[in-house]
Amino acid sequence: MNQESESTLDNLTYLYRIYRLIVGLLSAGFVWIIWPYISNVVLILVFAFLFTTLLLKSVDGLERRINSRGLSVLIVTVGLLTGIGIFIGSFISKLSQQAIDFSNRIGQDTLTTEFNKLGQKFTALVPGGLAAGSGDFSSTLSSFVQMVVENLAGMAGALGGFLLNTAMILIFTIILLAEYHNFKKLLVSFFSNKYFEIGLTLVHNIEKSVSSYLRGQFLAAASVAVMSFAGLTILNLFGANLTLTVFIGIIAGLANLIPLVGPFVGMVPAILIAFMNNIGSDAAMAHQLFGVIPSPFYVLDIVVMFIIVQQIEGNLITPTLVGKSVGIHPMMVMISLIIGGTLMGPLGMLFAVPATGILKVIAQEMMFVRRNAHLL
Amino acid sequence: MKNALWKNIFQGWNRQESEAILTLKQVPVFKGFTDKEFQELEKLFHRRTYDVGEFIFKNRAPGEGMYIIMNGAVKITVGTRAENEKILAELSSGNFFGELALFDDEPRSANAIATVQSELLGFFTADLMMLNDRNPQLGNKILFNLGSVIGERLRQTNQLLFEEKSE
Repeated sequence: MNQESESTLDNLTYLYRIYRLIVGLLSAGFVWIIWPYISNVVLILVFAFLFTTLLLKSVDGLERRINSRGLSVLIVTVGLLTGIGIFIGSFISKLSQQAIDFSNRIGQDTLTTEFNKLGQKFTALVPGGLAAGSGDFSSTLSSFVQMVVENLAGMAGALGGFLLNTAMILIFTIILLAEYHNFKKLLVSFFSNKYFEIGLTLVHNIEKSVSSYLRGQFLAAASVAVMSFAGLTILNLFGANLTLTVFIGIIAGLANLIPLVGPFVGMVPAILIAFMNNIGSDAAMAHQLFGVIPSPFYVLDIVVMFIIVQQIEGNLITPTLVGKSVGIHPMMVMISLIIGGTLMGPLGMLFAVPATGILKVIAQEMMFVRRNAHLL
Repeated sequence: MKNALWKNIFQGWNRQESEAILTLKQVPVFKGFTDKEFQELEKLFHRRTYDVGEFIFKNRAPGEGMYIIMNGAVKITVGTRAENEKILAELSSGNFFGELALFDDEPRSANAIATVQSELLGFFTADLMMLNDRNPQLGNKILFNLGSVIGERLRQTNQLLFEEKSE
């Protein structure tokens, strides 16, 4: 009799597992079908959540002083937007001042001559087969500009989409900041009585893991900004004649938050400034890296400097700082970055580490629940 | 005549206090709190409903915080539900239990079981930490009052031990 009931129980458990597997597969299939329609909203929410986690401490701290949540959110958001506005505004104004000086200094003919000189230099460096197809450098540049103009409509559309998404992220961030603690309470209320305390700990630990990760990322970005600034200052000692070094450092640090693409974005303004400041200078045109490799306008020096900064950051700072803050081994950080990059590209790399941190917290809590199931 | 300005100024004058606030006002841990502080506190508490015989927590389970009985009754026991169960206390509306979990990482030292359908308010370490971040004055007030309550209980336990030894 006992054996019979045990085998019935085994069968029921087996059936229940099959049922759970089917439900799981159906849910995954459903998400797969609707993903194209909801991916944008999910992305907006994820970014809003990340910004909220980043700004939460400031809002909570301010609320403590002025006793008003709404006003704290308003002050922090307006302060942040003003800071970004001032940074972008002063950068653009300094850059345009630089451009005006540049255009005053250089006539159209000089520019074409310099482009052609530069083109010849590159052509000389490229092997024969490739060089044959390169033709006149200035005409290649003109056709590139024409192509950009033709694609302007598409670019305007993309810019519109970007601005809309940014506005949505801002709105969601403000709502989340104002209602964060209520939303958290609501989320926890969905757990059944049995798993309630575990659920509360889980949410708390995920929150801690994500905020530690973001803190780590921003420390890494700050270190890139400082290292880039130091590198550019050293290049100036060797006569690179670079201006706006603080701005370039900050841009490189911020761009560093986006994996893969970021480091190259950081290089662009530095190369542009080097070109603008040194055009017309024969010494800069004839400059050689280590006295061997031709590096007109110090372009190669800048690229090498940024590669060194990226290597230090990527192999030393991020794995130690970010891995430590999320509690993941540096090797696991790299593996998760590779997996994220393979699955979703740069965006996947951006979310790879916090996602691994969240999965680690969930796995830990699940293991804890399995071990202590009899106590719940 | 309805006037939006006057309506705004007098808004909240005749507001009914929620059941949760009325319960919190009975608890010695929140003695001397202002109405504004009670409103702040109410946002932190988690309202849960338990059926008859349902465990709120089990002995040796990890503890995350304290519970206050809003409606219903709870028994605190050691041992299993079978014949070796020993009831340590029977609690009713306004009573609280599990407060030691707010201070240490030790597992629960007893079972808490609802004896009738009960509505409880839960207050947890994570919420207390967050309150200390957002409003340290209020957080300190709670910690100070909790210390007083635990001190009072320790004094009573010492008295009982002393009486036991004297006999």
